[in-house]
Amino acid sequence: MSATFEQTSSDMAGLAPDRRRRRRRDTATALAFLAPFLLLLLIFQYLPLAMMAKNSVLDYSLLNPHAAKFVGLRNFTDMLDYEDMRESLAATFLFALGVVVIVIPLGFALALFLNSKLRARGLVRTIIMLPVVTSAVVVATMWNFLLDPSNGLLNGVITALGLPRQPFLTSPDQALLMVSIMTAWQQVGFAAILFLGGLQGVPNELAEAARIDGATKRQVLWNITIPLLSRTTLFVVVIMTVFSLQAFAPAFLMTDGGPRDSTNLIVYHIYKTAFVMQNAGYASALSLVLLVIVLGISLLQMWILRARWNY
Amino acid sequence: MTENRSRSRRVLGVSLILVAIVLCFFTPFLWIVSNSFKPQLTIFADVTPLSWKTFLPVHPVLENYRTLFARTNILHALLNTAIVSAAQVALTLVLCSMAAYALTRIRFRGSKVVFALILLTFLLPVEAMLVPLYQVVSGLGLDNTLLGVMIPWIASPFGLFLLKQSFEELPRDLEDAARIDGAGHLRTFVSVILPNVKVPLLTLGLVTFLFSWNSFLWPLVIAQAPEIQLIQVAIAQQGSPTQLPNWGETFAGATVATLPLILLFLLLQKYFTQGMAMSGIKG
Repeated sequence: MSATFEQTSSDMAGLAPDRRRRRRRDTATALAFLAPFLLLLLIFQYLPLAMMAKNSVLDYSLLNPHAAKFVGLRNFTDMLDYEDMRESLAATFLFALGVVVIVIPLGFALALFLNSKLRARGLVRTIIMLPVVTSAVVVATMWNFLLDPSNGLLNGVITALGLPRQPFLTSPDQALLMVSIMTAWQQVGFAAILFLGGLQGVPNELAEAARIDGATKRQVLWNITIPLLSRTTLFVVVIMTVFSLQAFAPAFLMTDGGPRDSTNLIVYHIYKTAFVMQNAGYASALSLVLLVIVLGISLLQMWILRARWNY
Repeated sequence: MTENRSRSRRVLGVSLILVAIVLCFFTPFLWIVSNSFKPQLTIFADVTPLSWKTFLPVHPVLENYRTLFARTNILHALLNTAIVSAAQVALTLVLCSMAAYALTRIRFRGSKVVFALILLTFLLPVEAMLVPLYQVVSGLGLDNTLLGVMIPWIASPFGLFLLKQSFEELPRDLEDAARIDGAGHLRTFVSVILPNVKVPLLTLGLVTFLFSWNSFLWPLVIAQAPEIQLIQVAIAQQGSPTQLPNWGETFAGATVATLPLILLFLLLQKYFTQGMAMSGIKG
């Protein structure tokens, strides 16, 4: 790609007039093909990006955005002065950690299962993909009722086993964990599909050679398969983290951020700040911080994977 | 003898895992759907003690569905969502394939800059853009319109990457022949390239449909008026177990909102899974 690009620009000088005309026509055609896409990209990605930066130093409401007041960096110093940002970020990261810790081993195990020669693997793939294609709203609604303290299915199971009923979402100690478990339940099929793609890229010869040399199945798994999948694993960790940092529906539909702000996920906090409390300047500043965190994680991943690529 | 025993032990182990997977991932769906055919009191009575009745409606009733469609705007919301999703799929396919064509099939100066501009937006977290995006779209007067719900997502960087990749895999000879016959770019694009990327187009279409149908936060803020409400927002407003007297009606709503997608998924599972896996392969 880059080679052809340099080549074409270096022989620009010696072009015959009609070739130059063709080139100009090609550029015009290319722009015509790209114009609708680029126009929407500018309006709905770059313009909001610029506005977010601009609005983060303002004090205004969405009901009357023209009456904005410049406040400098006060929104950011407020973030440091008040507890809300720190608590919300802590809850969000804890939530993401919970999701990743559950999803990675289970997703990997399911991928191993799907990669085997078992006859039931088609059925398993279909079943674990059901939650992935179901909307976050329906999943949250479903779990709301599964987790209902008095008539929910989970307490039905728990009491059938002779154990005491659990408060689940109404307990500040359990709510965040339950929301993590629910999100992991929804995403684990997706992780399994990604791991399966990685597994299918692992050359069979390595495992076979190790088996011939007398390695047990477990040794092959730990010493060959898992290390070879480190790229895939990092990738799945990043996808799940980035996804979890942007979770909204659980807090909105299941807990209202509570109890005692224990599930006040950052996007829900931004939503409430902007649309309920009408403090859009502060919400913009919060959004900017979230954006920087997520971008940082994505760029870090790209950098690590690139470094590995060149060995 | 020992080999036989270890084999039957393996079969037992695998069966246990299978049962666990079905219990864990399938029974919640079964519980919701079967309870949507039960009156409220039966739902509660069937949970404790746990039995097969918990998961099957013994005397199914359609009451929940009847009240759902009579009392709420769910039918209208379904229609709105179908319109938005279909239009979003169509426009995404058109815009992304045109852009992918320009980036892979036409040589022009600045193509790298354009590509970098698009690549960067791929990394932006969508939900963090909520507040300024709301201002942009409502500033254009598109709040509370179906167009406003879909327009920010049509120029999809993911869609462009997916198509760009498959366009690059097509051999050059394909269009060279068309060129010799005097075809211009537009004709090459429509009659040579597009017919050869049907599977990627289908894959992208399905993933786009999935995201559009399931999207929630954006429709929640930009389309609040009842007459343009989308299905996920309508379902969400049915409330939580404590607020709402009727669980069965909520379950019926969740079933109606999910059924079209599940059917589509079961029908075209291969492409769905491929698309989801592709959304991962960019590293």
